[in-house]
Amino acid sequence: MQLVEKIIKGERAAIAKAITLVESSRENDKKESRKLISELLNKPGKSIRVGFSGPPGVGKSTFIESFGRYLVEKNYKLGILAIDPSSQITGGSILGDKTRMIEISKNPNTFIRSTPSRGSLGGISVGTREASIILDAAGYDFIFIETVGVGQSETMATNLVDIFSLIVGPGSGDELQGIKKGITEYADIFIVNKNDGDLKSEASKTASDYKSAISYYKKSNNTADKEVLLVSAIEQTGMEKVIETIQNIVSQNKKNKNFDERRAKQFTYWIEEEVKEIIQFNIQKKIKADGSISQLSQKVMDGKIQMFEAIEAITQNLQNK
Amino acid sequence: MKTKNSDNYTKWQKSFERETKIDLNEASSETDEGIEIKPVYTKADIENLSFVDNDSLPGQLPYTRGPKASMYTNRPWTIRQYAGFSTAEESNDFYKKNLKSGQKGLSVAFDLPTHRGYDSDDDLVMGDVGKAGVAIDTVEDMKILFNDIPLDQMSVSMTMNGAVLPVLSSFIVAGEEQNVNKNLLSGTIQNDILKEFMVRNTYIYPPDPSMKIVADIIEFTSKEMPKFNSISISGYHMQEAGADNVLELAYTLADGMEYVRAALSKGLDIDDFAPRLSFFFAIGTDFFMEIAKLRAARTLWYKIMKDFGAKNEKSLILRTHCQTSGVSLTEKDPYNNIIRTSYEALSAILGGTQSLHTNSFDEAIALPTDESARIARNTQLILQNETGVTNTVDPLAGSYFIESLTDELSKKAWDIIEEIESLGGMTKAVKAGVPKLKIEESATKKQAKVDSGSRVVVGVNKFKNPKEPKVDVRVIDNNRVRDDQIKKINDIKASRDQKAVDESLAKLVTAAKEDSNLLACSIDAIKNRATVGEVSKALEQVYGRHFATSLSVSGVYGKHFEGDEDFMNVTKKVNIFEVENGRRPRVLVVKMGQDGHDRGAKIVATSFADMGFDVDMGPLFQSPKDVAKDAIENDVHAIGVSTLAAGHKTLVPELMKSLKEIDSKSKIIVFVGGVIPEQDYDFLYENNISAIFGPGSNIIESAEKVIDLISDKIHKHN
Ligand code: B12
Ligand SMILES: Nc1nc2c(ncn2[C@@H]2O[C@H](COP(=O)(O)OP(=O)(O)OP(=O)(O)O)[C@@H](O)[C@H]2O)c(=O)[nH]1
Ligand SMILES: [Mg+2]
Repeated sequence: MQLVEKIIKGERAAIAKAITLVESSRENDKKESRKLISELLNKPGKSIRVGFSGPPGVGKSTFIESFGRYLVEKNYKLGILAIDPSSQITGGSILGDKTRMIEISKNPNTFIRSTPSRGSLGGISVGTREASIILDAAGYDFIFIETVGVGQSETMATNLVDIFSLIVGPGSGDELQGIKKGITEYADIFIVNKNDGDLKSEASKTASDYKSAISYYKKSNNTADKEVLLVSAIEQTGMEKVIETIQNIVSQNKKNKNFDERRAKQFTYWIEEEVKEIIQFNIQKKIKADGSISQLSQKVMDGKIQMFEAIEAITQNLQNK
Repeated sequence: MKTKNSDNYTKWQKSFERETKIDLNEASSETDEGIEIKPVYTKADIENLSFVDNDSLPGQLPYTRGPKASMYTNRPWTIRQYAGFSTAEESNDFYKKNLKSGQKGLSVAFDLPTHRGYDSDDDLVMGDVGKAGVAIDTVEDMKILFNDIPLDQMSVSMTMNGAVLPVLSSFIVAGEEQNVNKNLLSGTIQNDILKEFMVRNTYIYPPDPSMKIVADIIEFTSKEMPKFNSISISGYHMQEAGADNVLELAYTLADGMEYVRAALSKGLDIDDFAPRLSFFFAIGTDFFMEIAKLRAARTLWYKIMKDFGAKNEKSLILRTHCQTSGVSLTEKDPYNNIIRTSYEALSAILGGTQSLHTNSFDEAIALPTDESARIARNTQLILQNETGVTNTVDPLAGSYFIESLTDELSKKAWDIIEEIESLGGMTKAVKAGVPKLKIEESATKKQAKVDSGSRVVVGVNKFKNPKEPKVDVRVIDNNRVRDDQIKKINDIKASRDQKAVDESLAKLVTAAKEDSNLLACSIDAIKNRATVGEVSKALEQVYGRHFATSLSVSGVYGKHFEGDEDFMNVTKKVNIFEVENGRRPRVLVVKMGQDGHDRGAKIVATSFADMGFDVDMGPLFQSPKDVAKDAIENDVHAIGVSTLAAGHKTLVPELMKSLKEIDSKSKIIVFVGGVIPEQDYDFLYENNISAIFGPGSNIIESAEKVIDLISDKIHKHN
């Protein structure tokens, strides 16, 4: 497949087309997409995948711009997948993340793709995982995934990334009470942004709130320590510490095999999801073709048969096909 | 309520309802500002007004009726036409011709590189030099600009905000080298940075250091330049960007309050600088509303300044320049614009403006030609000399309608002002992006009204001219201007004392770090022949360059079209497209070069999204190369270039080249919207542009065309 070679060579247009393919809702594309991903999985790169989540407006995009600038200066190659939540009633969306990633988007060592989330569960869109496989094969050192909200931390952490970080703003420490458990369990790094100007003292306070919150967390067998970091995306401060922390966590987790275990789990999870999807798709096709549902439900309504009888009959019927 | 219940009123109401067959309660209309306009006003409407004092006279507080007792009966308003293009030599010629033909004051329009603090030789400004104003790189250009124009006699207004330090310095040094001391210079520098962040987009530094620069200039001029207006607090650009009159009025006065506070923080006494604060408003097509706005502005400013503790009467009085609305003028059937501008000019005069710019009929096509500029100027000469409007001061005073409207506007604006104050003032509001978003919302609503036909624009959505006239356009060869400017820069750089330049720039940097007054240091650097770009870059080292983060309204356009057939037709096409192609049509809307006109781009983006498109919104000031990278990485179907400042002939071909450089087989289609003279259409089509959407384009129709073009392209290749 020519596309694979082009991706591995890092051709921008090929990478972009491949991402379109894996995001596509068209049945044919889905098949091709599976083929493509299978081939790419045989040629893994060396990417570290980092998730950045956080409430709207906390500065995720600005942070990625700022941290990204710091990294490209050190000659790292950066792939960025920004999942934009701004879908509208009609289903369209305005993807404005790049207005916050002005400098890094010019840099030849970056690849930045925005995707509308389409309200899909967890804020993660169809194809995000596949897109990160494409970027990995294309040779990006880091893949950053930006998503809105904290609700999807679990999906994100168990599904997609090697390191999951939560970006929060000054003053958000109070909200900790309610959501403590999920967060402390799934986030590897807590980044308190906007540590600048008038907000500095509030930011420090928030950081210590988080520190005490994670102290409740019972460390399971030698995983890397969770970290709380203070940064200002606007003033570009605290960035060394972020990369240091990422690298530490990676090397620790690699040493104690946690890194590979996590990836293995994600793989299993993924396979399970795919199987479910395929079965569901096949069943739906059958249902459409079958037509017994509407017939039998009419009978139920007419009082000719019982509802459970109908269900049983339909299931039998579909399974036999 | 006595009058209302009187027999006369009841009788009138009956007749009205009989004639119109409409219940009086339902007969009012609503303005963009949400103000109810009734079919008739009576004495009852001007009893118990909150802000207006019915007994006050012109020149008396609260100055509703005008800043002066005699107004135009003594001296008519100043005809001050805003102009500038190409090189200093050509603009100087143009100014001198105009002054001979009856214009009184000068008003300089700089080009976009100058506004944004770039020299003409900077790579970032390739398409913009001399295009939308005059290019000024050094004091030598400024001297040429005022050649044979004695600066001790001519009042000069300069629209400069971002690069205000080097440009005002150049003006001062040019005066000096004409042997005119700075204390004799008269005129105005716009120096209003807050509205740049909101709508005009020629900022350079972030808001806080920018506010410091504003305050430095107020401080310096209040001490050294007693005849010079240190700031022109501008609502004009807000209305042009789409604000309704209440937003324009409220945000402008709230900006004014912020500048007063900035100056006070320098330890100045309010009466030392407040008399030199001036204002600038737009005058649109809503005839009576605009008159009321100017009267309300004076009334409210009086109250504001009184609350600040000003004592000098001059501090309490709002003096203003006005410009007729450019956005009300159309590309279609352009001679209609002469008529629109005349009504707007009359409105400004009845509102009591101190000076006025009237737009040319080719406003929506290009910079004015000598001929169209002449007609625009004559609009005012005819008003002054033939109509008798100068004979009576504030002739509409006492009109039930005008007085009540003045009061109503004041009240509405005051509510917004108080809201902003309670949030901590305009700098904070601007940083949060709220005013910009409110203005964009208002602009989107206006667009929806025109596109749906509920607002008539003659020649655009109704009464179209079947035979559009051909008009001449001013053509500027920016490559030639750029070459000329670069040569001048190189000559100056070769002959100046480099050590002196370096030292004075270093001093400027130190001053910025130490927070001392920057104008004095900047004057020294300019005197030593440092360039506008060098002075700007020196400060950029300390302050950084500001990049705006942009928010977008959503659902405002779509809401107006609920159930509309044409609208649903497009959303249906989009849905079919999604099923067929596995994703929605995806369009990248971009602004390239230094062009900061983002109203159209923002409206188109939000409207397309409302119709179901996925719209990528690029930031301002992108280079064609950045756009190509962005477009390809996001695998968009189409790029929509919005271009209004005449950079298209350079930037669009550059974009096409960049696309091919990254992907020689790129199937991305490119279309262009904005101000594009018909003379350039062929050129763009030859460069493989798929469609052109000029001013007045209906967005629903444009969206349909775009999706059709995208579908065609896909089918052709399958
Ligand atoms: C509003 C306006 C402003 C506002 C801009 C506010 C803002 N944030 O956008 C203000 C007052 C700030 C302003 C300032 C200036 N302006 Co101005 N401005 C205009 C004006 C009057 C209207 C533009 C507008 O917004 N129209 C309303 C919108 C909705 O229409 P539109 O953008 O044309 O978009 C429609 C179509 O073109 C099309 N379209 C546009 N883009 C796209 C994109 C896509 C994807 C699609 C499908 C369609 C599409 O669909 C839209 C809907 O119908 C025009 C003249 C005119 N009447 O057109 C001058 C004009 C553009 N300005 C001009 C100039 C020179 C300036 C200045 C540079 C002056 C100076 N020297 O200081 C400054 C600097 C601005 C800057 N930073 O770039 C000149 C440009 C000259 C030229 N092209 O040769 C013009 C043409 C006036 C003139 N004749 O002199 N301006
Ligand atoms: N003071 C301060 N403001 C910041 C900082 N980082 C971001 N901001 C501001 O916060 C606002 C939101 O920033 P974004 O980067 O768009 O936030 P986001 O989390 O990506 O937002 P969404 O993608 O819309 O959820 C902007 O106005 C930024 O200027 C910071 O470090 N300090
Ligand atoms: Mg974001």
